[in-house]
Amino acid sequence: MSHSKKASIFNKDIERTTWHDETLWFVRQKRDKMAYVIPEFQQLRDLASQIKEHTLSQLDEYLLEFERNALKNGVHVHWAADAKEHNEIVLKILKKHKAKKIVKSKSMLTEECHLNPFLQQHAIKVVDTDLGERIIQLRDEAPSHIVLPAIHLKKEDVGETFHQHLNTPKGEKDPQRLTEAARQHLREKFVQADAALTGVNFAIAETGSVVVCTNEGNADLGVNLAKVHIACMGFEKIIPRFNDLSVFTRLLARSATGQPITTYTSHFTKPRPGAEMHVVIVDNGRTQQLGREDFYNSLKCIRCGACMNTCPVYRRSGGHSYNFTVPGPIGSILSPNLDLKKHSSLPFASTLCGSCTEVCPVKIDIHVQLYKWRQQIGESNALPMSKKLSMKVMSKVLASSKLFSFSGKMGRTMIKWLPYSMTHNKSVNPWAKARELPEVPEHSFREWYKQNK
Amino acid sequence: MSAKEKIISAIKQNKPGAKELPVIPVFNAEENTIETFKQSVKTIGGEVIELASLAEIDVWLEKKFSTAENIVSAIVSSSVTISESSSTELLEKTDVAILQGEWGVAENGAIWLPEQNMLNRALPFITQHLMLVLNIENIVTNMHVAYENISSGAYGVFIAGPSKTADIEQSLVIGAHGARSLTVVLLKRAC
Repeated sequence: MSHSKKASIFNKDIERTTWHDETLWFVRQKRDKMAYVIPEFQQLRDLASQIKEHTLSQLDEYLLEFERNALKNGVHVHWAADAKEHNEIVLKILKKHKAKKIVKSKSMLTEECHLNPFLQQHAIKVVDTDLGERIIQLRDEAPSHIVLPAIHLKKEDVGETFHQHLNTPKGEKDPQRLTEAARQHLREKFVQADAALTGVNFAIAETGSVVVCTNEGNADLGVNLAKVHIACMGFEKIIPRFNDLSVFTRLLARSATGQPITTYTSHFTKPRPGAEMHVVIVDNGRTQQLGREDFYNSLKCIRCGACMNTCPVYRRSGGHSYNFTVPGPIGSILSPNLDLKKHSSLPFASTLCGSCTEVCPVKIDIHVQLYKWRQQIGESNALPMSKKLSMKVMSKVLASSKLFSFSGKMGRTMIKWLPYSMTHNKSVNPWAKARELPEVPEHSFREWYKQNK
Repeated sequence: MSAKEKIISAIKQNKPGAKELPVIPVFNAEENTIETFKQSVKTIGGEVIELASLAEIDVWLEKKFSTAENIVSAIVSSSVTISESSSTELLEKTDVAILQGEWGVAENGAIWLPEQNMLNRALPFITQHLMLVLNIENIVTNMHVAYENISSGAYGVFIAGPSKTADIEQSLVIGAHGARSLTVVLLKRAC
């Protein structure tokens, strides 16, 4: 189903759409407040972008340096070419330790690899411990935002889910009490877990460390109680130096949620005595993206979600309408790399206003790449028929001045004389779904100019 | 070919042309770092108390955590002994943990807590309430200065305020999985 079709389902609930739109815009405004108190914020964005560009240009060397240092630290390093290999590596580690109960903190990579269902098939229980992720896990849904996974839900929805699964009183919708219920429920899981899985925000080549950022403390609580820590990372998470973290920790939370820094910025370098630490480095289509001249710098992304919060299309269509692990503008330039045909509607889910590019902390030219993907989708014949036909007609009309004047005249006359029900018919003119057509002028500019020159 | 060889050779083939690694400049230090730090801690939901010496902490503990049974600390008297080998059951009972922070960061209220100061890696997270002691002269302006001063060690965390979440309708709730409160104990310069 195309993005617009899925979006129209989301849009059926007008009240919720408005709420979603306003809530995310509020997060964007918090970001502005936090960003601009730092006088050098724009300079930091430049630095972050340059560090990432440099890293991508020597990615092989930095990954090998990371591996050498991690091995020295007593960390096991694994490489996975795709999602399947990643999942099998994780399963093998868990099996070796006879681990049956797993706690997991937020990791978009494991979402991308569909790790949870895979492990469940092998009788391993995975509990997502980030509150938002736990909510959607209980509801058997996918996250709709990479930082705020349950942003599509209202507190009443969460209350109902917790009533069913955690025995909270029927009708309870107070966020404080619901969070407390989740705290109690998840403490039990933390204490019993055989292994802890985490994502990785940054991997440092120089020290072989991985850094994980959370607000809840769930990554640390899980890792530090369990015997085994498995950290899964897409290979673009690598940065060269320990000190580079100073740039990224100043940008990440400010861009993401408008906080000065996440509550916990945790640096895992060596396992504690008696425990094991594993890092799984995953490709899964990333090398291919690296080779695309126009799109490789999408790999600079640090997954802050700022482009989603600001995007007028994302805010009004919801994350699920993108049907991809990473929704919003950044997801729309990452997904066509993996399957151009399947995700061909996503680069069109944008007004090309450029707001995403403006807020991106690592200066990815997101809206330019959206435009470039559109060209590639057009060339590879992956456009839907309706778009293809109308493009053909438009290019004919725009190429001939006679045809253009004639159509203009026709249009002006038709809009004037046709009944409203026809000019604003939703299937003939989808533009008029929520808009009025402008008033029709008497003449075109050319006619006016002829008369007045 | 192993996955590693496959990935590395594909990267070699596909990587873009060389780009330089920038030098990170030292950004100008702001004035009144201590006041900024205190403000930042409050903004992120923490509390700051200023003491002349650690000996004064008892009075404060009595006032704030009078019902707390298990107070764990490496720097003041402790009612329970916790080490890296302590059981989860014991760790879980911790009401208050009092630990020494190394560096405070004015711009965001974060405090660097290395493993050596934790007693047990899980303690700062499993405790119901966390108190971090910080020498006032160890407050630095921003993350650049902080990272200049620390090393990765085996494990270390910047902690900024109490555990929190806003995953239900963006309503801020303090006390998600980690500590329900964070108190920063600023120790004044010895005169």
